[in-house]
Amino acid sequence: MASIEARGLTKRFGAEVLAVDHLDFDARPGGVTGFLGPNGAGKTTTLRMLLGLVRPTSGTVLIDGHRYRDLPNPTMRVGAVLEASGFHPARSARNHLRLVATTARIPFSRVDECLDLVGLSDAGGRAVGGFSMGMRQRLELARALLGSPDILVLDEPANGLDPQGIAWLRDFLKWYATDSAGGDSDGRIVVVSSHLLSEAQLTVDDVIVLAAGRLAAQGKLQDLLSGSKRAVRVKTPDAQRLIDALRGANLRADLKDGYVVSEGASAEVVGPIMVANRIEVHEMTTSTESLESLFFELTGGEGMHPGHAAGLMGDYRQIVDPGSAGPAPPAGPSGDQQ
Amino acid sequence: MTGLLLTEFRKLRTIWSTYVLFGIVVVIDLLFGFAIALAPGGRRGGTAGVVPHGSSQWFTNVFSVLDNSRLLALVLGILIITGEYRHKTVTPTFLAEPRRGRVVASKLVASFGGGVALGVLTMLAGLIIGFVLVAVKVHSCVTSFTKAGVNQGMSQTMCNAQHGLYFVANTHDLWHDWSTIAPGVILGTGLFAIYGLGLGALLKNQVVSIVVGLGFTLVVEGIVGAIWPAVGEYLPGGAATALEDAGRTTIGGSTPLLLPWWGGALLLVLYGVVLAVVGTLTTLRSDVT
Repeated sequence: MASIEARGLTKRFGAEVLAVDHLDFDARPGGVTGFLGPNGAGKTTTLRMLLGLVRPTSGTVLIDGHRYRDLPNPTMRVGAVLEASGFHPARSARNHLRLVATTARIPFSRVDECLDLVGLSDAGGRAVGGFSMGMRQRLELARALLGSPDILVLDEPANGLDPQGIAWLRDFLKWYATDSAGGDSDGRIVVVSSHLLSEAQLTVDDVIVLAAGRLAAQGKLQDLLSGSKRAVRVKTPDAQRLIDALRGANLRADLKDGYVVSEGASAEVVGPIMVANRIEVHEMTTSTESLESLFFELTGGEGMHPGHAAGLMGDYRQIVDPGSAGPAPPAGPSGDQQ
Repeated sequence: MTGLLLTEFRKLRTIWSTYVLFGIVVVIDLLFGFAIALAPGGRRGGTAGVVPHGSSQWFTNVFSVLDNSRLLALVLGILIITGEYRHKTVTPTFLAEPRRGRVVASKLVASFGGGVALGVLTMLAGLIIGFVLVAVKVHSCVTSFTKAGVNQGMSQTMCNAQHGLYFVANTHDLWHDWSTIAPGVILGTGLFAIYGLGLGALLKNQVVSIVVGLGFTLVVEGIVGAIWPAVGEYLPGGAATALEDAGRTTIGGSTPLLLPWWGGALLLVLYGVVLAVVGTLTTLRSDVT
């Protein structure tokens, strides 16, 4: 069974930068594992240590119990999609893949299969220099798939893909993790790093959250999200009666900004209470905690993506968590993506 | 290891810059070869130190430019390793073979192969120059007879027959000089490509490697060789001179060298391999980010 395990994984760049700090994590087969964290949290560094490209300062990260560099033919065990830049601009896409196939002793027919799989069969003969960012990203994926590996590692794979491409990738990764290896198998390991949380929420089954090089949380996404702060918000002229009724049913209820907010309750619970008490309803909405809010809690809201901080997050916190101060507005785009 | 080696050769075959470099080599060889052949000094003939047209020494002089191809072989070796860093193809390369020493070892072999191919092309260019020169010479002989009133057919026959087969004799000289020089030129380009690879592995940066490689060979070695010839002979460029002389001494003879041809070859291999090993243990060991 495929496995990835990191123990005490640490990477120091120079004397000052501690990029990854005693990281322990495991990834299991049969699901997509989201590797999440703000820019500079150490995601890319960790993945590159996993792939033998960056040497850990201390600690280990093992694939099936071996270091990457000790795998006899790693292309057959691990496929990696990294930043889309490792191409010679004058070389054709097909030849780019054939290089890897030659090293790994994979027949060239598999090269064409993989080009076909990512929708690049018509562009196979073209020089990669003329490829769009999305095409390069798909070519990277084709390279990663050459050896039909049981472990797939992707660093920000959605970068440069259009919405259709992202949706395709989401379905593909889910399929690869669960069904692609055949019925008897436990499935394959798919690890995908991302800063697009709304996208990750749709894709991942497990999450590993990094903050400032440390492990902030690890587990099944559903477990991490359950018991969280869902809430029902109701607009009604009978606010006080509703509050009394909800409190009578041992639910929390408060009046906020002209809305009755019941934290921890679901619409299935609140609805019947309102019907039973014949309370007139003008508006009723529910909110569940998102991966995004969980993420900000875990990472302390540091170094967050400007767009999320300003828009989505601010509104959300007003609704479910008015007590905590919203994240500070960003000073400007923090273009420190590594 | 076989797959890795095939991959390195495939890398060379699948980008046009390799062919451009090879093309440049041929063009430079042709230009310089003809320039030397047609230089005024060559036409006068007879006087001491000046080589008459068509003599064995004349071809030797013309062919001496071919040795310069090894400078471009040096560049080829540098490009083979530094190009990976420049285009970040080093990431897929090390993903497919994480044992970096093996990658460098196969690049050493590929460099030698590429350098040898470049040397073979160089010698083909030399052959073109040689045949053109012989053809021109025969033509001028025939012209001199026809101008004197001899008819075309007779002139041709006389030129071919005169003084013991004019054309055949020259072609024979050409072949002799060419085949004597060829092994040294081809081995020289092959080994200089290895030297270039070692240099590139150590310095990693493409432009810096090319500047250092050419600068050292042309400037530093020139100065050292002028001041301490005995030291200069043990530097890479000097070691390659020993290869040149493998051919040269049997033709005309030249200043005696300390190194035999095989000593020069071994020394060059040593330079390339030592640089590559040091590069692998230091520069190439660093993180790929």
